[in-house]
Amino acid sequence: MSLQQLLNGLSLGSVYSIIAVGFALVFNILKFSNFSHGGVLTVTAYTGFLIATRFSFGLPLTLFFTSLAGGVLAVLIERVAFRRLRRNKSPVIFFFVSSITMGILLENLITVAFSSNFYSYPKFFQKTILEWKGFHMAVTDFWMLLISLVVLGLLMGVLYRTKLGVAIRALSMDSTTTLLMGANVDRIVVATFFVVGILGGIAGVFLGINYTLYPQLGQLIVKGFIASVIGGLGNLSGAVVGALLLGILEVILTGIEGIGSGLAPVVIFFITLVFLILRPQGIAGKIIQEKV
Amino acid sequence: MGISVSVLVFTCISIIGVSGVFLITGLAGMFSLGQASFMAVGAYTSGVLVVRFGVPFPVAAVAGTLAGVLAGLLVGLPTVRLRRDYIALVTFGFGEAIIAILNNLSNITGGAMGLVGIPPLTTLPLVLLSAFFSLFFVWNFKFSKYGRQCIAIRTDELAARSMGIHGDGLKLLVFILSAGFSAYAGVLYGFYTTYVDPGLFNWTRSAEWIIMVFFGGLGSLTGAVISAILLGTLPEILRFASEWRILLYCVIVLAIINFRPKGLLGERELRIVKRKTTPETGGAV
Repeated sequence: MSLQQLLNGLSLGSVYSIIAVGFALVFNILKFSNFSHGGVLTVTAYTGFLIATRFSFGLPLTLFFTSLAGGVLAVLIERVAFRRLRRNKSPVIFFFVSSITMGILLENLITVAFSSNFYSYPKFFQKTILEWKGFHMAVTDFWMLLISLVVLGLLMGVLYRTKLGVAIRALSMDSTTTLLMGANVDRIVVATFFVVGILGGIAGVFLGINYTLYPQLGQLIVKGFIASVIGGLGNLSGAVVGALLLGILEVILTGIEGIGSGLAPVVIFFITLVFLILRPQGIAGKIIQEKV
Repeated sequence: MGISVSVLVFTCISIIGVSGVFLITGLAGMFSLGQASFMAVGAYTSGVLVVRFGVPFPVAAVAGTLAGVLAGLLVGLPTVRLRRDYIALVTFGFGEAIIAILNNLSNITGGAMGLVGIPPLTTLPLVLLSAFFSLFFVWNFKFSKYGRQCIAIRTDELAARSMGIHGDGLKLLVFILSAGFSAYAGVLYGFYTTYVDPGLFNWTRSAEWIIMVFFGGLGSLTGAVISAILLGTLPEILRFASEWRILLYCVIVLAIINFRPKGLLGERELRIVKRKTTPETGGAV
């Protein structure tokens, strides 16, 4: 494994980690796998494309407005798909079906609006390759890595330094107790979804830049799942580590003759299975157990 | 006439698939987003055996179903003992992996272009009979000891375990069975359309089946069948474009989850012959 591969892997993994963290945050507070996040990725990828082409914004402005749009979308999803379920204290199964349905709904809305045509983002940068002491890096990769790291840092800051962060972490431990402590649970959940939507928006733009735009783009959420499974479900730092590992692994596998980008998902799937057998609690080491 | 026969065939195939999903989701409360991939395993295994190796259809059909069962074992073994979310996540990943395999082994599977030239051996009587037997099997499973243990696990796994129900083994059994059902549905599908490509078996199809089970009422097999017919056949007859059909599904399901969480029938079953309530059956029905 060369340093070059490591670098590429890290930049890919950093995008995956944004996806994985958005997925893990919802899992943390509501304890279900949020499949609608894939739909958020798809919709924001197209939103970013529209913003970038209509207003010919650069990458920073596009990211800013798209992440806002993602936040609003996620809040809407919470309102439509989960609010009533939370009120009724429905079983997890309902949340699950609701989120799957929402994911399919968003994917198909995009299919109807844009048909299955392929689009691609405009070029944001004049220079495409950075060079430094023999290492090469695509400019977009460099910015993805940098922005992802900054975003993750900001998120950790919010979670561990602000009142909202304390509230979110409290909610992830026990929602009833949080309510009894006088916190407005609804507001915290909405705020969390807004944060998750922002993360989804950023990831959506990056995915749109990395790949061409198509309605099934959101299925790349599977990278977030695998990262979460490797890292330990619902564990944020585990998800980040899992995602970075996944990115590096993918780059290495793609470079191996006979595997390539085509069969890399297969190998990764088997690695995940083996991992689940050997260490089901994930890297982070804490397994989430059902309580009586 | 031709159209109505094909509608009937597809409805029956989706009834077979849905009865498999009913086993894991309706009874045991697990979610598999890879059911369509088991279908792909069945369709491709049997199709390749017949097209490339000239194996007779019945043998290929059995082999396809068994391949699905094996795939189910592979995915189920590490996942069923974990929290249920893992099953959904891993089966989703399995779907991606299967599609990648099918796309890349193009000299055997035809790659993204699909496998062509499968002989049209799925006949209407065969499909009707298969659907009937699937339902018969699942119905009896539901009211057997195992079925009730499954319902106990779905309702409260911890409580069920403490009552001495062997959770992991039972969940694995159900998972494998439903993979077999999906694979068999795939066999019938491939030999009816005579053509399969990887894009047919994406996660939306798996999710569609879950939605059907959910729409009918989580614990109700008759509900699942009715919703398979309603959601699968009506749009076919009314000739919706498929995207609009799925949009319609989603809106309906969201409405149901929010306003009538029990689904169409809830836990109830529609019966033609009224069953006598004996002490053994009374509790679970």
